[in-house]
Amino acid sequence: MSNYIPTIGVEVHVELKTKTKIFSNSINGYGEMANSLTNVIDLGYPGTLPTLNEEVINLGIKAAAILNCKIRRVMHFDRKNYFYPDISKNYQITQNDTPIGYDGYVEITKSTGEKKKVYIEEMHIEEDTCKSAHRGTKTLLDFNRAGVPLIEIVTKPCMSDGEDVKLYLEKLRELLSFGDISDCKIEEGSMRADVNVSIRKNESDPLGTKAEIKNIGSISNAKLGVEKEIERQTKIYEAGETFKPQTRRFDDKLNDTVLMRVKETGNDYRYFPEPDIPYVILTDEMIEDAVNSIPMLPDERRERYIALGVSEINTNKIVANRSLSDYFNTLLDEKINHQVASNLLLGDISGYLNKNEKTIYDTTLSKERFIELVNLVSDNTLTSKNLKDILDIVLESDKSIQTIMSEQGIENITDDSEIRNIVKGIINNNPESVNDYKAGHDRAIKYLMGQVMKETKGKANPKMAMDILVEELN
Amino acid sequence: MYLNKSIKEINELLKNKTIKPIDLVEEAFQNIENNKELNAYITLNKEEAIAKAKELENKEVDNLLFGLPIAVKDNIVTKGLRTTCASHILDNFIPIYNATVVEKINEKNMIIIGKTNMDEFAMGSSSRTSYFGAPKNPWNKEKISGGSSGGSATTIAARDLPFALGSDTGGSIRQPASYTGIVGMKPTYGRISRYGLVAFASSLDQIGPMTTNVYNNALLLNALVGKDEKDLTSVRKEEEDFTRLIGEDIKGMKIAVPNYFMSDIVSQSITDKVKEIIEVLKSNGAIVDYIDVPYLENAVTLYQIIAMGEASSNLARFDGIRYGYSYENPDNIEDVYLKTRANGFGEEVKRRIMVGSYLLSGENAKVYYNKALSIRDDMRKALKKVFEDYDFIIGPTTTTTAYNLTDPMDDPLKSFMDDVLVIPVNMAGLPGLNLPIGFDSNKMPIGMQIIANSFEEAKIYKLASYLEKELNLSLNPNGGEDNE
Repeated sequence: MSNYIPTIGVEVHVELKTKTKIFSNSINGYGEMANSLTNVIDLGYPGTLPTLNEEVINLGIKAAAILNCKIRRVMHFDRKNYFYPDISKNYQITQNDTPIGYDGYVEITKSTGEKKKVYIEEMHIEEDTCKSAHRGTKTLLDFNRAGVPLIEIVTKPCMSDGEDVKLYLEKLRELLSFGDISDCKIEEGSMRADVNVSIRKNESDPLGTKAEIKNIGSISNAKLGVEKEIERQTKIYEAGETFKPQTRRFDDKLNDTVLMRVKETGNDYRYFPEPDIPYVILTDEMIEDAVNSIPMLPDERRERYIALGVSEINTNKIVANRSLSDYFNTLLDEKINHQVASNLLLGDISGYLNKNEKTIYDTTLSKERFIELVNLVSDNTLTSKNLKDILDIVLESDKSIQTIMSEQGIENITDDSEIRNIVKGIINNNPESVNDYKAGHDRAIKYLMGQVMKETKGKANPKMAMDILVEELN
Repeated sequence: MYLNKSIKEINELLKNKTIKPIDLVEEAFQNIENNKELNAYITLNKEEAIAKAKELENKEVDNLLFGLPIAVKDNIVTKGLRTTCASHILDNFIPIYNATVVEKINEKNMIIIGKTNMDEFAMGSSSRTSYFGAPKNPWNKEKISGGSSGGSATTIAARDLPFALGSDTGGSIRQPASYTGIVGMKPTYGRISRYGLVAFASSLDQIGPMTTNVYNNALLLNALVGKDEKDLTSVRKEEEDFTRLIGEDIKGMKIAVPNYFMSDIVSQSITDKVKEIIEVLKSNGAIVDYIDVPYLENAVTLYQIIAMGEASSNLARFDGIRYGYSYENPDNIEDVYLKTRANGFGEEVKRRIMVGSYLLSGENAKVYYNKALSIRDDMRKALKKVFEDYDFIIGPTTTTTAYNLTDPMDDPLKSFMDDVLVIPVNMAGLPGLNLPIGFDSNKMPIGMQIIANSFEEAKIYKLASYLEKELNLSLNPNGGEDNE
């Protein structure tokens, strides 16, 4: 098995998050009644003409920049001609000659820690086709999807195993969803991947016969599909046989790829420049504006969080949650303990959000109140036990945290003399620990502190108690 | 009988309530009925037109086109009114939307009388590829009216009504205008929205006005132009009155006559007539030079490649699935496509789709289509260069006058040669107008083409109206008085 070298390339289609379709003003929506989001342009009625949604060009520029692509300044659209019921005009408007982005890459980190660049050959803008559903001998067509803007991202054949494909798709999904390009929901079809796999014996050999895997329903299936396909092709070659270039699909039930069709030679799409849409010329200003409006991407988020002292685990968890991460981003310039802030967000607050199916933006936790909360927890004015008791109120009312604390009777002992009396008592009752402390054993002071908290039933302000304890010991 | 009066006179009569729009509509329908054998129409809009005329009785006569009847070529979609493109494949197609030009003529409260006959999908030069049979030339019913806007040319020449819309991809307004002795303008590409014009060759198609005289033509153009958000190839221009230069002197204007336009590809009776006109122009102070313009002789070849390539793609949508004719008992989807299109399209359309598909196939796209685009660009530049030194290019519109309806159709190249003089204008996106300049010995009209630089339609009308007045021809095939 291991004596074959796989070569893998991936083509990804993502639907762009625009209000309207690419060539008409129909709504770009999902899950609506069939054919309710269509008009005569989407349906290819005679005499109708495409318009061009500028939002699409803008998202195209952003996507190209995010994928480190070069951006083409002068481009046009092309017609890809073929007869199929899913395309109302019997041609698809796409970019064949002048893709908006080319020569890009994204970086993935393999489980070995090795960093690897996945090279992007080109990315172009095109229209989605309609959805067909087969019912017995009939085929039903839903044109809601027809004309939804897509970008197709084509890698070079530069990946070598299922892990590469998985990591690439995960990275792409992360980048494009953080870039607000697409919601990248594979299950809803807003991100679709086709994977081309071939294997060969030696680096010096020409590339082997290609199989394309379509209909991949998840990223883990993409990985599995690639592995199964490498296995299948290896068996064929090992048996001294060959196979024809083909299209296969991933079957969820079999967990394997299944032959769809053997590729006929030379698909002839009769491409030519779309005469109904003038050339699109991108100015420096357009590109600059689009690039400047790209939200902070995951790698930069991670870098900044780590630099603020947030642990790697917390950093990754926050970045994995877009709305939490956006919320956290508003705190980057605040003088707070960011590790404490991240603990709060990922701990009790996330628990509340999950239980109530809310995002942080659905709560009353304004930035100012959150900063107050972080500071109260940082100096131990509010203990984690206390927080649990008042969390619902913190997230559902507008009152200051201090007010909530006093209303809920969470009064820490902050009276100096009261704490000092208790501390003195503890020191008198634990001469051994006092000696240990003086001998330089750190553990002893923690024990004594524990005794203070026990005596006060946890109500002593821990920071204050510690200060007094140290004072009295010396 | 009011429709033979000038537009200004009719407007006065409407304003002072001497007549009502319904009088004009009824007269138009009577004329069309009398000229029924000319076969100018595919569909008449009688009920709707009468209802609209009655509705207008309560409205203020607020513009010169108010209440006037107009005919619309049947490749321009009209909401609720059958639009066939003279094809079996659309013979049951009733659009649920209007072309932008139709919206515009509605805004002026013009009244659509019917949809005119044409070559199927505008593919042809004699309107004989129509599924509904060819229209006949009012000057001689044995002759063609030309094409593809043959029905519009016929109804205007026959004086059924004063206004019609045509479309011009490779001469389809100017050539039939020449054969029938009327004024037809193909405006600058982008001047008029193409939204709702069923596409033949998108980079060449342009809608334009067809009328009995120059003034009416300019007046109708006023109503049609403008940037349209629905057509990205339409162009934003400052509003202008295309009649504004009519009546001005032509002294000192510089006019170029390409030698190729006057070569032996054109019948002598036509070149002789054009030479007479040149003398008229000179004696009125214009400067006329014969010049060489490169690439003109390539026009037909370029046209065949570009127009057919685009057409093969534009006509792909007629597949029997969403609208129009659909084969009744298909075995499978392949069968739907094959039999719908085999039965639905006529021979010429199928021939052009096949040639166009071939031209775009595989490597051919590079060898033919892309090369044609690049030569087209050279031709455009060559023509543009002429306008650095000249105000106009003129020449004959056609190589012959209208020929017999019974002439054979089996030589497709010949029919393209009919359009050799008009195609360069489409290739360069320029405005061009046919002006009737006289008759041949068989009393068939001869036309002259006036071409100007992009967006200089007003200048064309100036020269055309000057000559129209100077020549003062009798252009009514029914005899009788002509309108002004």
